[in-house]
Amino acid sequence: MAGARNPTARASAHIVDREAVAHLKQRFAAHNAWGVIALFAVLALLPFLPGFKPWMAGQISLVMVYIVAAQGVSILTGYTGLVTVGHGGFMAIGAYASALMVKHWQVDILVAIIGGAIMAGGVGVLLGLVFLRLAGPFLAIGTLGFAFFVGTIVTNVPLFEGREGISLPKNKALGLELGDVGFYFLALTTFAAVTLFVHSLVRSSVGRALTALRDAEKAAQSCGVNRLFYRMVAFTVSATITGAAGALSGLSVRYVSAEVFADIWYSVDILVACVVGGSAMLMGPIVGGAFVALLPFVLEKLADFSFILKGVVLITVLMFAPAGVCDVLARPVRAWRRRQLERAGAGSGAGSQAGAKVEPLKRQEG
Amino acid sequence: MSNIPHLHCENVVVRFGGVVACKNVSLRVETGKVVGLIGPNGAGKTTLFNVLSRFQTQTEGHVYVDGKTVDRCRPDEMIGRGMARTFQNINLFQELSTQDNILIGAHRLMGDPVSSMYSLPWARQRQAGQIKRALEIADLLGLADELDVTVRHLPYGIQKRVEIARALAGEPRLILLDEPVAGCNDEETAELREVVRTVNRDLGITVLMVEHDMSMVMSVCDYIFVVNFGANLAEGTPAQIRANPEVVKAYLGEEAEA
Repeated sequence: MAGARNPTARASAHIVDREAVAHLKQRFAAHNAWGVIALFAVLALLPFLPGFKPWMAGQISLVMVYIVAAQGVSILTGYTGLVTVGHGGFMAIGAYASALMVKHWQVDILVAIIGGAIMAGGVGVLLGLVFLRLAGPFLAIGTLGFAFFVGTIVTNVPLFEGREGISLPKNKALGLELGDVGFYFLALTTFAAVTLFVHSLVRSSVGRALTALRDAEKAAQSCGVNRLFYRMVAFTVSATITGAAGALSGLSVRYVSAEVFADIWYSVDILVACVVGGSAMLMGPIVGGAFVALLPFVLEKLADFSFILKGVVLITVLMFAPAGVCDVLARPVRAWRRRQLERAGAGSGAGSQAGAKVEPLKRQEG
Repeated sequence: MSNIPHLHCENVVVRFGGVVACKNVSLRVETGKVVGLIGPNGAGKTTLFNVLSRFQTQTEGHVYVDGKTVDRCRPDEMIGRGMARTFQNINLFQELSTQDNILIGAHRLMGDPVSSMYSLPWARQRQAGQIKRALEIADLLGLADELDVTVRHLPYGIQKRVEIARALAGEPRLILLDEPVAGCNDEETAELREVVRTVNRDLGITVLMVEHDMSMVMSVCDYIFVVNFGANLAEGTPAQIRANPEVVKAYLGEEAEA
C-alpha cells in the first residue's frame, strides 16, 4: 500500500514534521502520566505527615470509594454514552456480597472485595442483557428501576437484615488486622489500580469501540463493532468497578444497612460526580467524586444544604461546561499544547483542538 | 470461480408496511470492477445499499458475497466477509482524531478484546502495527497532515476521504460508497474521483457506488445498473446507459440529450 502513488495534489508537500510531532506528543503523554503519579504519591505519603489523624484516613478512604464508583459510572455514561441513574444498585450488590461473605464465611477482605466486584459484574451482565436495546432516557429510567429493585430487596429480604444492618468484625487482610490507615492503603491501591485500568481501557481498541458506538452507532457497526457485545462489555466492566467501590464502602465502616444502600440518592450522587467532573476524561470522576464526597464535610453544619448546592453546581456545569469541570480546566493546557505542536511544524490544524472534547449528555440518539 | 460475481443479489424486495421500497431488484458486481448504481431520488438505491450491507433485512430475495449467502449476517459481520461501506451523509466519529477514526476501521484486526483492554504486550504491538498501517492509508489518501486533527474540524471534502480511509482500514476486498461526492465542490469531486480510481486500480478493491453526479459515474464506472421505482430499469456500460432511451427518459433527462 505504501508504494502506491498519491492521488491528491495537496498530499504531495507535507507541512507536518512527523517526528517532531510524535516527540512532542510523547512528552505531553509523559506530563499527564507524571501528574497522575504525583497525585497518587501525595496520597501515599499523606498518612506519614505530622498532624495526620486516623479519622482522616477513614474520611479520605470514603472519598476514594466515591471516586472509584464514579469511575465505574464514567465507563458507561462517559465513554459509551449510556446514562445510568442506577449504579447505586451495583454499589449495594458489592457491599452486601462482601459483607455477607465476611460475616458468614469469615473470608479475607481482599477476597470479599473481589467477590463483591465479581457479583456486581455478574448482575451487570444480566442487566446489560435486559437493557440491550434501551438507550437515552429509557435506559436512564430502566437503571433507576434497577436501583429501586435492589433497594427493595435489601430492605425486605431477611438475609440482608434490612434497616438493622449487618455489622462486621474487624477487617483482616492476609491474616493481618487492618486499622483505619491500613484500610486507607487498601482503598488507595484499588483507586490506583482502577485508574490504571481505565487509562488502559480507553486507549485500547475496546475503548475506541465504545466511543465509536456512542458517536455514530451505524458507522461503528460497519467497522465490525458488535453493538450488543460491546454494550455488554461496558455494562460489565462498569458494574464490576462500581461493585468494588461498594464493597470498599461497606467494609470501611464495617456496617452495611439498607438505610444507606437502598437510598436512591447514592446513585444520583455518583452520576453527579461523574458529570460534574467530566464523564469522559480520566480526571473527571476523580475531581467530581472528591467534590461530591467532600461537600457535606466542608459545609459541616449546613450539610443539609449540600443537596441544593449539588443541584446548583450540576445545573451550572451542564449549562456552561457540559463536558465537565475538568474539560474547562484542561482547555488552557490544550491550547498551549496546540501552539507547541504548531511551532513544531504541525500545520494550523494539528493537535486536539480547543472546545469541548465530549458532550455525552447532549448527544443522545438522533 | 471466475463467473461467480463478487457481490450479487437476486429479486430483493423490501416493504415498509404498505410502502414498497424495493420491488424486485437484482444486481451483479463482478470482481475488480467499479460498478455504479444510479436512479432518480426515491428509486430505492439507499434501501438496496442497506440490504447489501445488512443494515436492512429484505422481505424477499437473497444477497450473496463471493457466491455465499449473507442473508443471516449482522452489519458488523460484513467486514469479516470483506465488505466495507461509507454513508450518504458523513458518518464519522466526530470527536475523535482522523487516526482514531481509521483505527476503528481496523477494529476487526485488533485481536481479542480482553488482552487489548488490559494493554497486554502483544495487544500493544498489534496496535502499534495498526497505527503504522493507518499512517500508510492516510498517506495514500492524502490525509497524512490531518491524522491528529479532530475530524469535526476538517473541511467537508476531507471528511469524505477520512470515511473512505476508515473503510479501507478493515482490509476489505469490496467497498460500497454511498454518494461519495454528494455536496462536494468541483475540486473535491475531482480529488475523490482519483481516490476511487486508486482504491480500485492500485489496491484491487471492487467498488459499488451510488452516485448522482453523472460525470463522476460515467467517468469511473466500468458498469452501471439503473433502478427506478424500486425495480431494475437498465444495465450496461456507461456508453450503453448514455444511449439507452429508457434511462434518458427516467433519469438523465434533458442534460443527456444536450
